[in-house]
Amino acid sequence: MQRADVYAPRGLALTLETAGAWLLALIWIAPLAYAVWTAFHPQEFSTRFVWNAPLTLENFSRVLEAAPFGRYMVNTFVYVSFVLACQLVLCTLAAYGFARYDFFGAGVAFALVLVQLMIMPDVLIVENYRTMTKLDLVDTAPGIALPYAASAFGVFLLRQTFKSVPKELDDAARVEGASPLQTLWRVYIPLAKPVYIAYALVSISHHWNNFLWPLIVTNSVEARPLTVGLQIFAGVDQGIDWSVICTATLISAAPLLVAFLLFQRQFVQSFMRAGIR
Amino acid sequence: MQNISRIGLVLVAPALALVALLFLYPLGYSLLAAFTREGALSLDHFAKAIELYSTDILFTLVMVILATILIAIVSIAIAGAITLSETPWLVTALKALYRWPLFIPFIVAAQCMRTFLAKNGLMNNTFVSLGLIEPLQATSFLDWRGIVATFVWKQAPFVALLLAGAMASLDRATIEAARNLGASRLRLLFEIVLPQVGRTLMVALVLSFVTMLSVLSVPMMVAGSQPTMITVDMAFRINAYGDYAVANALGVISYAMTAVAAWFYLRHNLREDRA
Repeated sequence: MQRADVYAPRGLALTLETAGAWLLALIWIAPLAYAVWTAFHPQEFSTRFVWNAPLTLENFSRVLEAAPFGRYMVNTFVYVSFVLACQLVLCTLAAYGFARYDFFGAGVAFALVLVQLMIMPDVLIVENYRTMTKLDLVDTAPGIALPYAASAFGVFLLRQTFKSVPKELDDAARVEGASPLQTLWRVYIPLAKPVYIAYALVSISHHWNNFLWPLIVTNSVEARPLTVGLQIFAGVDQGIDWSVICTATLISAAPLLVAFLLFQRQFVQSFMRAGIR
Repeated sequence: MQNISRIGLVLVAPALALVALLFLYPLGYSLLAAFTREGALSLDHFAKAIELYSTDILFTLVMVILATILIAIVSIAIAGAITLSETPWLVTALKALYRWPLFIPFIVAAQCMRTFLAKNGLMNNTFVSLGLIEPLQATSFLDWRGIVATFVWKQAPFVALLLAGAMASLDRATIEAARNLGASRLRLLFEIVLPQVGRTLMVALVLSFVTMLSVLSVPMMVAGSQPTMITVDMAFRINAYGDYAVANALGVISYAMTAVAAWFYLRHNLREDRA
């Protein structure tokens, strides 16, 4: 506490810091606050702020009537879970292989992973669409998920983490008779738990957000995720109804925001511990 | 040793198989489609892409570079304030607010910005009601400014989160020592803290750069008119003309931009590894 007294800003510095922080905070939260305001108020108050404007849930019922959001939510949940499950298994195995084993072509294989890190699958949509057509996976959850299953970011991140695990722990597990997979399961994975949480957060957030590839590879309500469903409200042919747009926006973002509110402490601590480089 | 080598290969094989099928194969095929015409090597598709979209290519590069610079500034400010500020309520408020956009999809962020920055959007209406501008002075920000604002709003929390994490794991002793010697907070940030987390900042910025290059929804929804970004042009070539060759050529130009970012990152990493 004493340190805060000694170094705390005073006078002009305090005023500037306070004003700057408030400005930043307001700018940061304004678009989201606007979406909340518009979603819960009648259409005539969508672009003006009147403090005693009446509250309504009518926008929500209009949006839920206009599109099957429940179905989109389930689709998104299935697709995001499928991607994450594939990523966790494939990236863990690959990262362990790269971090602890020396094999022929390891350097080239890892360079390929690094190159993949720099080229998003989105720019390969044309050819990936053809591949999915050949595999008969168009308009399915695996079809949306597969291009992201072997995540370069995941392999890279976990490899760096596994490399920092003391070799002595690995040796001790082997002396005790553990197989490579048992060593991975009992030594490496528990030690990398914060990194897994941080990675899962980034992956879920990214794939919940994904728009372009699902837009291309899905063509029915049964497979379409939230972001693609949301697109119908962006069409200018419907006229611009800010209330409906903001409500649909809020419904799409709500699950992630609620999850963030519930688990924010764990998420942030994971990032603090992960020390991503 | 041979046994161990085989285990390594087996562990890596499933991921490599997917990389080969869904990355190398399409990448090779798109390069082939971009560089050939009727079976012969040709730069015709690139010539057409540059003739039609040179302004958009330049526009894309400027947008992404500008957004990356602003993201760096904003995230350094946020992470620096969280790490070094001695005003507890400020740190609490910043921590509570800055991460929200991380959980908003790009398409939703674009929607938010579209409604917020429009000529009759809440921002202008608020300015009018506060008497800061006249109704006739209200202008739409749904152009390059909207794209950059959306990118910064969406990506800065990601970079700030990684940066704040790296800053929090630093040894506080050097920071306290410099502080005891009378170093100001700005000096602490730029001379003590930032040099130690440069690598994290670089990784986060490169990832943001690459992500922004591949986003379609933001340029499509926030700024529909010309000039626009490469992703919109690619979608247009495919949807309107079924012209996969020029779309692939635009894709290759996009890889070239990310390759430059990758080169910067790898060079920086190799230099640090050698040191």
